[in-house]
Amino acid sequence: MAELQIFIQLVLAGVLQGGTYALAAFGLSLIFCIADVLNITHGEFLMLGGLVTYIVYAATGWNPFLILLMVIPLFVLVGFAYERAFIKPILNRPPRQLLFSSIVVTVGIATAIEDTTSFIWGPTVKGVSFAMPAFIVGGVVVSSLRLMILLSIIALTVFLHYYLRKSFMGKAIRAILQNREGAMVIGINVPRVVTFVFGIAISLAAVAGVFYVLQFTIGPFIGLPLTIRYIAIVMLGGSGSLVGSLVGGLILGVAETFAGFFLGSHWSLAVAFFTLVLVLLLKPEGLFRHV
Amino acid sequence: MLAALLLAPRFIDPYWVVFLLLLFMYVGIGSSFNITAGYLGYVNLGHYAFFGISAYGFAILYAKGAPFALCMATGVISTVIFAALISYPFLRLKGGYFALANFGLIKLFELVAGSLREFTGGTQGISLTPGYRPLQTYYMFLAVALFTIVVCYMIPKSRFGLALFSIREDEEVAEAFGINVNRYKMGAYILSSIFPALLGAGYAWYAAYIDPEIVFGTDKALLPVTMAMLGGTGTFLGPIFGAVFMLIIEEFLWTSTWLPLWIKSLHLTMLGLILAAVGIFSPGGLVTLTPIAAVFRKAGMGRFLGAAHKTLKAD
Repeated sequence: MAELQIFIQLVLAGVLQGGTYALAAFGLSLIFCIADVLNITHGEFLMLGGLVTYIVYAATGWNPFLILLMVIPLFVLVGFAYERAFIKPILNRPPRQLLFSSIVVTVGIATAIEDTTSFIWGPTVKGVSFAMPAFIVGGVVVSSLRLMILLSIIALTVFLHYYLRKSFMGKAIRAILQNREGAMVIGINVPRVVTFVFGIAISLAAVAGVFYVLQFTIGPFIGLPLTIRYIAIVMLGGSGSLVGSLVGGLILGVAETFAGFFLGSHWSLAVAFFTLVLVLLLKPEGLFRHV
Repeated sequence: MLAALLLAPRFIDPYWVVFLLLLFMYVGIGSSFNITAGYLGYVNLGHYAFFGISAYGFAILYAKGAPFALCMATGVISTVIFAALISYPFLRLKGGYFALANFGLIKLFELVAGSLREFTGGTQGISLTPGYRPLQTYYMFLAVALFTIVVCYMIPKSRFGLALFSIREDEEVAEAFGINVNRYKMGAYILSSIFPALLGAGYAWYAAYIDPEIVFGTDKALLPVTMAMLGGTGTFLGPIFGAVFMLIIEEFLWTSTWLPLWIKSLHLTMLGLILAAVGIFSPGGLVTLTPIAAVFRKAGMGRFLGAAHKTLKAD
């Protein structure tokens, strides 16, 4: 019985972690599909989202879910600014050069963000310990904080799903995914959609950061290892697919939680790597396609 | 030039011997990075991992008292085997994914080296029998750097190089023309791992101490890559020029006393911003900028700016 309870507990923790991954990974795969840019800075925005939450929480003690509502619009703006400043100048290059430049630019910015953050706020890890009552269902301890996070993730995913189906911007995004030239011909302003996608994607990463800082601790150097996990998820799920990101995130989250429990937490990145290598060997096109 | 470099340690200050030695190291790493990034078009951000793996392979054996040649061979061979194993799945990744997966390897190795205490001494690293050997290392690194440069010079002239270029321009077309794309990609990847492996083992011997941070640290890993890209990948001359340029700047800017301390502590930020600026303003690197290219042409080195430069302009 005890084994079963541990098992359920681990699966729950893994699902939660996977959901947090999936949010940010979906943003990464959207950017990759719409703009052909691999945004290596993505994990840094998760870190910054967590950091903003930490700072506001430490200063005011507000409910983190209230802070979440402020983080979303703030990072949409950050995403717009980031795209305008660093991505727009290279966007019109021919494919091979775009790829090369986007790697160089985003790695450079990621390094700069990490170093500046660690210079200003110090290299120590930070966490938000926001306690909410836990309850026990059938011998399994469920913290209501984690339940709230899970519900928020589900709500956000459902919202995103309908947003991509119903709204004009969502339809424009899907049109570009299906056929870029066709979308241009019928009058979709592709550069504007690209800017918009950066706003959404980076704000999603920051939201994942809020959930991350509530569950774990953040430090200035978590960004790049996280981006690697997102890559594994996007490769696993297939790019541009919301369902794919979700499934990929859940698989990786559960696998990492189990590896962390049985082998030690520093092996979790290795799990992401083995997943990545396995996927590349067995099914290089990913599990899902489409939006 | 070569004679001057061979005789230099007799006449210059030991400080500059070490400076040149590091320069050779970065030229070697940067130029071999150019084989995959410049010639093949696959930006291997984790190129420095080869350096670290070899350094650890060397140090683990050397600390146990094995002879130098055996340790060296172990370091290099284990790196090459590793490169061969990882090349097959990783070269299926396209562009940015490839770059990041490789970069992740470095982070992974930093973690693994830090946690496998029995083998690697954990984060405390491995200390070898200390010895001050700048002279031997100087000649060794000079030889490796020359070796790298010669290989990098020969590749574009060979059939192998032509295959790499055509894969870089368009993989599907290359395949349609009957080039065994996978074999050439893996060949370039494995070939490029040999040089940092040689330097890594040499570095462990020279420094007599390594730890995960020294051979797998992010800033250490990004430095040679930044140098090569700053100078210009895809050209033969770019990585060499980049290494010289960057080291001279580092030497005079970061050690100067007039620069405020807070800028110096943001060293890595500056490195990142330089990298971003190169990407935005000069994707071909410094050697493709008109004034600098003109200087090289005047010095009769125009042909080293090479065919790679022309194709960069064409697309």
